[in-house]
Amino acid sequence: MSSLLSLRNIGKSFGGLSALSGISFDVEPGEIVGVIGPNGAGKTTLFNVVTAIYPSTEGEVLFDGERISGLPPHTITKRGITRTFQNIRLFSTMTVEENVMVGRHCRTGAGVWRGVLRTRGERREERGIRGKTRELLDLVGLSGTDREMAAGSLPYGHQRRLEIARALAAEPRLLLLDEPVAGMNDAETQEVFRLIKRVQALGVTILLIEHDMSLVMKACDRLVVFNFGRKIAAGTPSEIRDDPQVIEAYLGAAERDADA
Amino acid sequence: MEWLNPYHLQVASFMLINAILGVSIYVTLSTGQLSLGNAGFMSIGAYTAALLSTQHQLPIPVGILAGSLLAGAAGILVGIPSLRLSGVYLAIATLGFGEVVRAVLINWESLTRGAVGIAAIPQVGRVILVWARDRGFSPESLGLQSNQFISLTVFLILLFSTLLTVAFFLRLSRSRVGRAYAAIRLDESAAAAAGIPTTYYKVLAFSQGALLSGFAGALFAHSTSFVSPGDFTYHRAVEILVFAVFGGSEHIIGPVFGAAFLTLVPEALRAISEYRYILYGILLVLMMVFRPQGVIDPALLRRFRRSGKGTPA
Repeated sequence: MSSLLSLRNIGKSFGGLSALSGISFDVEPGEIVGVIGPNGAGKTTLFNVVTAIYPSTEGEVLFDGERISGLPPHTITKRGITRTFQNIRLFSTMTVEENVMVGRHCRTGAGVWRGVLRTRGERREERGIRGKTRELLDLVGLSGTDREMAAGSLPYGHQRRLEIARALAAEPRLLLLDEPVAGMNDAETQEVFRLIKRVQALGVTILLIEHDMSLVMKACDRLVVFNFGRKIAAGTPSEIRDDPQVIEAYLGAAERDADA
Repeated sequence: MEWLNPYHLQVASFMLINAILGVSIYVTLSTGQLSLGNAGFMSIGAYTAALLSTQHQLPIPVGILAGSLLAGAAGILVGIPSLRLSGVYLAIATLGFGEVVRAVLINWESLTRGAVGIAAIPQVGRVILVWARDRGFSPESLGLQSNQFISLTVFLILLFSTLLTVAFFLRLSRSRVGRAYAAIRLDESAAAAAGIPTTYYKVLAFSQGALLSGFAGALFAHSTSFVSPGDFTYHRAVEILVFAVFGGSEHIIGPVFGAAFLTLVPEALRAISEYRYILYGILLVLMMVFRPQGVIDPALLRRFRRSGKGTPA
């Protein structure tokens, strides 16, 4: 079986500053792969390259065997890759429901005239969007009373889960999660862990950036370790735990996270 | 029927034309794009309608349709290169476009008669009166004098056009396309990541705004029966923007209210007309300080709905 995502020698530099270089690894269907590394190691830059927030300067990204480098962001979403952001980026004045409904955009088709005339097909489509939205809000555990609220007024942890629901609304095959439990307490982290497992059970492959080592070790099938824009190790969580290079580069930070 | 004053009806008619212009800038703003080119698009609509009816004797509805579509097409042409710009840079570029159009109108004398403008454009109320009289109808049978009938007809046509425009864009704002617009306004790259083709929708909104400005311009030409480049200066562009800034740009009712209010108040204050622009300026400064989102915002509308006093939307 071919890999779902293949990164071939990805490099990204901003001016003369190299943020990523020579990054190659594959993600297989159904896996949860963790991307770890100290702050500034290039993890979020990798997500931005994969989702075409900005283009890579070198290398290519293959999704399901096809080259997606150079495609615009919305096309990549439609192909089946969606993401969340490290600094939550919800549409803050829209309601919780509307945020998820926006995520359905690429799986629906009503244009100006059908929207204005409210044709039968359009009304059916809107019902479908609302149904799927409720389903996803149930999945991430946002209850009925929250749904009419402005997204920006939700508690922080709920905003992170809403962002996951919005990303799932596009029916991705690959979900990129950028620090989904940053700033959360243990109970909230547990909830997100269970959510990630539920999403995996739906058949979605997950690429996860996270600093919380207990979550990463528990949730991920494989880990890729970055430092200074390079991949320094890859393997199962237990292999990574014992890798001397990783210990040198990273575990100091991991201990600090474990204390927090 | 003495109370039916043609002057009052004319003020009301300008309120409605301005309301459509207010909606035109609201549509563009609803994707986060600030356009100051709407006076230019308005002039394209006005001149197209005026020339088609005076030079080619085409029926008024044909001219209005052609004027709107031509302005919309110009919107696509201006909108595509302007996508590289945002915020104040887009505003400056579109302002420049408006001035270019005006310069063309002034200098292309063989077509536009230059600064003199185009007079004797068929006035829609008069045309309908003539048409009705030919068929044996006389406004006197309704107790109306001819000029009352003319002003009333214009007012009703504009009222219908405005209601249609507001209903169209109100429905659009609650559809899939409207959600895409709002998402782009709130966070363009998050919208793209959520699967929205931002370029397409930005050009769409820009050209819808242009088309609507052209529509308002064509209606203006057939209501006043005279257009000149002086009607479409940058003062007009700023005035259109102010409708949205004052009334609020987050809900379609905002610019409609802003247009109506800011057309009515200067008329009411004609007695102290020397000072009215001073008051106008003070009003805007106060708005920026105390209510930068405009008089009407979604929170206000929600409060109205909850208190059950009525549903302005």
